[in-house]
Amino acid sequence: MTLELLLSALGCGLLCYTLGRYNRAVILQRWEFVLSAPEKQAIDALRQRMAVDSTLTRKALEAAARAREASRPPDALTVLRVALSVLEEAGADRLTRLRAMSVYSRMVRAISPLPPPSAAPFKDPSLRATASAAGLVHRVLVGTSERFRLWLLVLGLGVRIVLRGGRLAADAAGREPQQQRHWQEFSREVDDFEALDACHLNAFAALVASLAAVDRGGRLRLWERIVGDAG
Amino acid sequence: MNELQVALAHANRLALLVLLVGLFVRGRAQLCWSFPAYALAILVGNSLATLWPDRFYTPSFWVLKQGTYDILKMAVALELAWRAFAAFPGALRTARLALLALLAVSTLALAALTPSSTYADLWTWEPGTATAAIWLLTATALLVVWYQLPVHAWPRAIMLGFPPYLLVFVLALDLLGRHGWPALHAWAGILDSAAYLVLLFFWNRVVWRCDPAEAAAAAVDKAA
Repeated sequence: MTLELLLSALGCGLLCYTLGRYNRAVILQRWEFVLSAPEKQAIDALRQRMAVDSTLTRKALEAAARAREASRPPDALTVLRVALSVLEEAGADRLTRLRAMSVYSRMVRAISPLPPPSAAPFKDPSLRATASAAGLVHRVLVGTSERFRLWLLVLGLGVRIVLRGGRLAADAAGREPQQQRHWQEFSREVDDFEALDACHLNAFAALVASLAAVDRGGRLRLWERIVGDAG
Repeated sequence: MNELQVALAHANRLALLVLLVGLFVRGRAQLCWSFPAYALAILVGNSLATLWPDRFYTPSFWVLKQGTYDILKMAVALELAWRAFAAFPGALRTARLALLALLAVSTLALAALTPSSTYADLWTWEPGTATAAIWLLTATALLVVWYQLPVHAWPRAIMLGFPPYLLVFVLALDLLGRHGWPALHAWAGILDSAAYLVLLFFWNRVVWRCDPAEAAAAAVDKAA
């Protein structure tokens, strides 16, 4: 096989794969969101959702602790499972938003700068190690977009680490309900999830602020151009 | 030229005519002006070679028309890229660098790797040129998807249709290069024409298809 044939086949396969999956309707919807930038409402809605998730998890964890103190381990474990399911549902929501933010970050030219990731707000050793490593990588990267996407990567990994830690702690508590350590570990994962949520909110606010930074006239002209081309 | 080749050439000519009419009737021509020029060049080249084969079905005319097609294909690829990125300065900057690098590498590779040709075997440049066109379109498609840029169905169809056909074209030339022009040129021609006919059917389908969004916009205009 000649080099040209090989390169042609490779290019052809790559193009058919990428353009075959291209969905214009979804992209137009995303641009409509980018150009309408609902800024403050979006941040408030996310903050409220995070507060509800946090309250539900904390309440469930407190109820589990009370049941444990009242020597009712089966009840305590049931409530702990509820806390874990709230955490898992919230984690799935955060991961979905992080993926969407990664897509939007490519559509926006300038992202508001975020501070470098730091291990300080976290307690889980794996999460602290990940945040420290990301802090080092952050110094090497130059572009704000790349730094923003590094943050999204850290947050995605963080959610996965916390959920894994939560599941392990809940399973261990199920096996040894009397062991205080497992309950403390679960509580620590909830703390880390809240710290991650604070970073998640900051990243979302930075993205929305960047979207809003595009001047209104420019946004309208761009939207007319997009719809005009699409029409 | 055997009977099957002539039949395929007539079918291609008919499909090209329908496509050209569709481009203007459906208002798709304005989405990429170099494409109608490319389609017209193909139509003229095809007509000359099949209607006056003694004069135009010759290696020298093949080289001339193929050179014209190559230039127009590159023009189509570059116009598609320019139209996709023009409204997005950030993406345009990256696209300009990527496409410029691709063009430079292709030119250097063509100059360095292709054996020096005489006029008679100038066709040995064709696989390299087709590969460069495929990669120009692929780079544009990758950047469009990376930056999530909105692209109309017709430019997308041009980008999606060209590479599979060009791959068959490169394959046909590869077979000719291996087995020699006299042994295979008729079959390579049939393979190339059949692939091009499939491509024209695909393009015609997209050009004549009624876009639901467009139909809705027209209905709103009519009601207003």
